[in-house]
Amino acid sequence: MKDAALKQEYDVIVIGGGATGAGTARDCAMRGLKTILIERLDFTAGATGRNHGLLHSGARYAHTDPESASECIKENMILKRIARHCIEETGGLFVSLPEDGLDYHAAFIQDCLKAGIPAEELDPKEAVRVEPSVNPEIIGAVKVPDGSVDPFRLTTANVMAARMNGADIMTYQEVTGFIKDGTRIVGVKLRSHRDGSETEVRGRVTINAAGIWGHRLAELAGVRLNMYPAKGSLLIFGHRINRMVLNRCRKPGDADILVPGDTICVIGTTSTRIPYDQIDNMEVNPEEVDLLLREGVKLSPAMAWTRILRAYAGVRPLVASDDDPTGRSISRGIVCIDHEKRDGVEGFITITGGKLMTYRLMAEEATDMACRKLGVDRKCQTASVPLPGSEDTDDDRKRKSHIIELSTEQKAAGDRHGSLTSKIVSDDDAADALVCECEQVSVGEVNYAIEELHVHNLVNLRRRTRLGMGTCQGELCACRGAGLLERHDKCTQRSLDDLASFLDERWHGMYPVCWGETLVEIQFTSWLYEGVCGLDPSEVKVTENPTQH
Amino acid sequence: MRFDTIIIGGGLSGLVSAIECARAGQKTAVVSAGQSALHFWSGSFELLGQAGGETVIDRPLDSLDTLPENHPYRRIGSERLRTLLSKVPGMLSDAGLKSAGSLDRNHLRLTPLGFLKPAWLTLGDYVAFEAGKPLPWKKVALVNIYSYLDFYPRFLAYGLEKRGVECKMAAVNIPDLDTLRKSTTEMRATNMSRFLTDSAVDRLAAEVNKVAKGMDAVIMPAVLGIYSDAPVECLRKGVDVPVWFVPTTPASVPGVRCQLSLRDLFIRLGGEFLPGDIVKGGEFEKNRLRRVYTVNLGDMPLEGDNFIISTGSFFGHGLIADIERIYEPVFGLDLNVKGGRTEWYRKDFYAPQPYMEYGVTTDKEFRPSRKGETIENLYATGALLAGFNALKEGSGAGITLATALHVASRITG
Repeated sequence: MKDAALKQEYDVIVIGGGATGAGTARDCAMRGLKTILIERLDFTAGATGRNHGLLHSGARYAHTDPESASECIKENMILKRIARHCIEETGGLFVSLPEDGLDYHAAFIQDCLKAGIPAEELDPKEAVRVEPSVNPEIIGAVKVPDGSVDPFRLTTANVMAARMNGADIMTYQEVTGFIKDGTRIVGVKLRSHRDGSETEVRGRVTINAAGIWGHRLAELAGVRLNMYPAKGSLLIFGHRINRMVLNRCRKPGDADILVPGDTICVIGTTSTRIPYDQIDNMEVNPEEVDLLLREGVKLSPAMAWTRILRAYAGVRPLVASDDDPTGRSISRGIVCIDHEKRDGVEGFITITGGKLMTYRLMAEEATDMACRKLGVDRKCQTASVPLPGSEDTDDDRKRKSHIIELSTEQKAAGDRHGSLTSKIVSDDDAADALVCECEQVSVGEVNYAIEELHVHNLVNLRRRTRLGMGTCQGELCACRGAGLLERHDKCTQRSLDDLASFLDERWHGMYPVCWGETLVEIQFTSWLYEGVCGLDPSEVKVTENPTQH
Repeated sequence: MRFDTIIIGGGLSGLVSAIECARAGQKTAVVSAGQSALHFWSGSFELLGQAGGETVIDRPLDSLDTLPENHPYRRIGSERLRTLLSKVPGMLSDAGLKSAGSLDRNHLRLTPLGFLKPAWLTLGDYVAFEAGKPLPWKKVALVNIYSYLDFYPRFLAYGLEKRGVECKMAAVNIPDLDTLRKSTTEMRATNMSRFLTDSAVDRLAAEVNKVAKGMDAVIMPAVLGIYSDAPVECLRKGVDVPVWFVPTTPASVPGVRCQLSLRDLFIRLGGEFLPGDIVKGGEFEKNRLRRVYTVNLGDMPLEGDNFIISTGSFFGHGLIADIERIYEPVFGLDLNVKGGRTEWYRKDFYAPQPYMEYGVTTDKEFRPSRKGETIENLYATGALLAGFNALKEGSGAGITLATALHVASRITG
């Protein structure tokens, strides 16, 4: 793949393997542009993989930012069509606690309706009936079409769509500089995070979709972006407390959203401005944990006695309005910059701001701009063509109509890969054997991910399959996963190093919440791997910064 | 119900002290909540594998002065430690478990990932090498059972080949395991061991022979012999070259075997084993524990002259952490925990973790205290004790066994 990439000139180079980058690569490829997607580490390693996984209805922004709200509801409806297998239509509630009062609530429904968001007032008693986990003290409730979206799945599906439409994909390639021809950017210089090798890729247009890391990229390109990293921390609980998304009906604040997704639920977030040099250090501190729990239990009291699996944090790429270098007027809206117009640097576009919910729209805007630059006139189709995995197939229909009797693990895989589940080899009992029992990941699914979904290490495998994301946090499956990866990779020492690094990576999400069963689990993990298996730093090399996978 | 000695905890430590008390003629009871650290046992007992940052091979008992003064080994003293631990192979043998090893020199065990780590005593059929010598084989076959995921031939081969052993890898199958394989979660070590008995072992041996020709040894996952040595002996008889076992990830066949064997020995000696029960608390008179109450027995107390608490560390729920504090849940015993939750851990997974050293503090006779007052007839043993990092020292089993034997001999002495 790398050799092929070097030989040709691409129409578009997309930098950044988050939802926006993957979505942009998909859009470009679907419009017939010869595209390459380049990611520094792994897909979803940045903000895309470090948020609530909330399929916003837009109601959260209805009062403060009507434009974002109406973008959200439109994209919400589009994603329900094109990304069915990444989405769960749970519905959501905005609830008012006695301390919140009903002032916000009163204007809220009107704001929602104005933005085109179907919002329905519920009697608090009725709300408790439909969502028994909600604090029974609530004095107001509004039902909105919130849901949950799996950002890992969504991004992978976009990457696959890009690939199916002819795009090339590179992971673990960091942009170290740009190739310039006068004032025009004509390519990128890359360094591999896997083996340190350096290469170049040439393209007529380069799109910076690197989220908060785009600030640094822009500097490399000789232009200035004013980005303000805002860190948000979240906690993952060991099972789903709630069926519907729960939101506090008040101005956006800390720990005011509880989202059920897959086997777990997530409370968040906090919001803290951090210095730019801290964007790769996503540590959740004890004060944030306390704050999330203190506020979270007001939303759903069961949180107080539910096991916390992990804590994690992401960075929102907040962007100052273009003409304001002071950063005072910060927008959460989409920012698409033509650096030729703005800075006189040709062939360079930045797409940023926005949010996971509007990744497709961001991709559309960036691709429109790239098309204009390349003189291509083709319409965007990403809003109507389903993503790979969300097509309406025969198998899918049979599955839904229960013509085929499915096992729990087949259902779990079906939820993860949608109509692509048929690609998972399940021809004998050995392929069906479970590697990860918490999340029901089979040998066949692991092999499929390794072969098809750009998996080089256990963290990649986790993001593609949920292996190691469950209650045991990789305690029993990490070793099995390493064993299967080693068969493909054939470098035993690297596999052992990877296993050791994966356990360290799991620990980094566990220590902020390391009490109760989480402490029990990690002590068991330590004894098993370092004790029984003898996996210690005298034998293996552990990747230093665990977020650098 | 009245007993001479009541032991809370049915893991390695609890069972060993119980056996000693019962053997001395005491009326003894063990209250066991269920699984213990034995259920992920490697098949080897460690005495001391690391001291002063160095791997200990020779004379582990002479390396004790590198340990902190309050360490259980130092409190017992090397002379007495030798006397106590010398009893262990005999006790294992009484329970029907063969073992090999020396207190003077560690040997090396082969871990499931192919590393060699120091150990004191290893079960007879498990891979163990003499330290400092070339490995005794030139060519071995690493033989897995088809579709079994918890045996890692390629990792083992990597470790062995580095030491000059040529490795051949193979997977064998017998129809006896097909039923098990139909379920996606059943091909685990302890489940397989229930099927690999009698004539199934003959069929397995025949399959292993097909790949064992010309090999110096066959290495297999420890998936046989959960209830007795018979299947292992049968396999060794049926295979033309020596067969050795490597432990697997949990649940461990040698671990369950060891637990069951020691429990049976205790029952044969007349002991009362109360499985699936948890001690809720006790009643004290002055500084003596008079009786304890359990979940199953409700308001019927267990009364005793002496008590031993061997409930383990966090994993055994001998210690409980909540968001604010760490406590000993049965009696609220005094602990060595300092500070709040941010003090309990290090951010590097492989750094020595402070929580690993937490446990109950005791006097020199291993008697714990409540609110500073020593309880005169309660003793604590094993992983529940404070003041050592057994994982980093490679000392877990040694401490567990030594403190159990030490306390039992004080009680019966």
